Amino acid sequence: MTRHSSERPTAEAQLLVQLIPEPPAADLGRSHQRLLAWYRAETPTIAWCEMGTPIGRLFLAAGPGGLRRISFADSQADFLGEFEPQTRLLHDPPALAPYLDQLRGYFGGQRRAFSLRLDLSSLTDFQRAVLQAAAEIPAGQVQSYAQIARSLRKPKAARAVGQALGSNPLPIVLPCHRVIASDGGLGGYAGGLQRKRQLLTLEGATFA
Amino acid sequence: MPTFDELIDLHHDEIYRYLWRLSWSPSGSDPGDTAEDLTQDTFVRAYQAFGRLRPDSNHRAWLYKIATNLARNAWSKRRWTESTEDLKVDPAAASRLEELLLTQQQRAALQAELDQLPLKQRAAVTLRYLHQLDYADIATILSCSLDSARANASWGVRRLRQTLDAKEFSL
Repeated sequence: MTRHSSERPTAEAQLLVQLIPEPPAADLGRSHQRLLAWYRAETPTIAWCEMGTPIGRLFLAAGPGGLRRISFADSQADFLGEFEPQTRLLHDPPALAPYLDQLRGYFGGQRRAFSLRLDLSSLTDFQRAVLQAAAEIPAGQVQSYAQIARSLRKPKAARAVGQALGSNPLPIVLPCHRVIASDGGLGGYAGGLQRKRQLLTLEGATFA
Repeated sequence: MPTFDELIDLHHDEIYRYLWRLSWSPSGSDPGDTAEDLTQDTFVRAYQAFGRLRPDSNHRAWLYKIATNLARNAWSKRRWTESTEDLKVDPAAASRLEELLLTQQQRAALQAELDQLPLKQRAAVTLRYLHQLDYADIATILSCSLDSARANASWGVRRLRQTLDAKEFSL
């Protein structure tokens, strides 16, 4: 095995650059622009920001289709890691102003319901139906997992309802915290039971 | 792990140059359109697979590998490989390459020879000497062993050298 050539790369390179011309800079630039245009069309920008609330720091993300994510992530890196790696993420609090306003109103006690554009495109039909049912529970009231299952005409699906609520991408706005166990216990919550208790207390709900 | 934006910014130009250099032929048409389309396809494929990539992956070699496979498919009529065992070069007769400035006639002869190289050799030569990739990366990109990566780059250049000698060009 000879390594003769690899010891003198510069000489070979000098020979080759005389043989193969360089692509014109304008062509390179055109190709780069075409690629970026495709990528931007394929992947709309997701604006994100963080927000301090009485139940701790929240991360919010929204795209052209509406609010995409509310997260209790422990760190910015954890939050950004929740997205597909191709996603174009931009820290842009002004783009989230309408969402921030309503959430501030809610935590301040002036708002009982949200009127926001929500992007639920990542959900399955079942998840969407479960979250829709949860969204119909007014603030200050609670329902059980079994009640939600019955309202969806799937009385045996209480556990699946719990799982669908657990993967809620928009907690608080889609109030999965208003769904509790049939025995009056809190059940579970992705943001931790302490937060669930705080949210229900804020809304004036009575629970065991 | 880079974002996909960064992947485009860091590697678009070199992938385009690579595909342009592979497409270029002394007698052929402008390689610009081919290089541009293959570059787009390379990044579209990369985009689709990006989520499955391990964070510690070698993104650069991975992109070159996709580009190479697309080029290979696009030019299915071009020979991909040939044995690197049967080419005998007398090292003593091999031309010196340092500070070699080619005459127009030499350049034309060598360009014709380059155009005859199987795609694997041409890719190996281009990756090693014009894109400065190491042999481990070249082996990944060409889906071959380290020895084969070395042999293809080395024989590619030797054939050019042999052409210089066989034509008895004075240096």
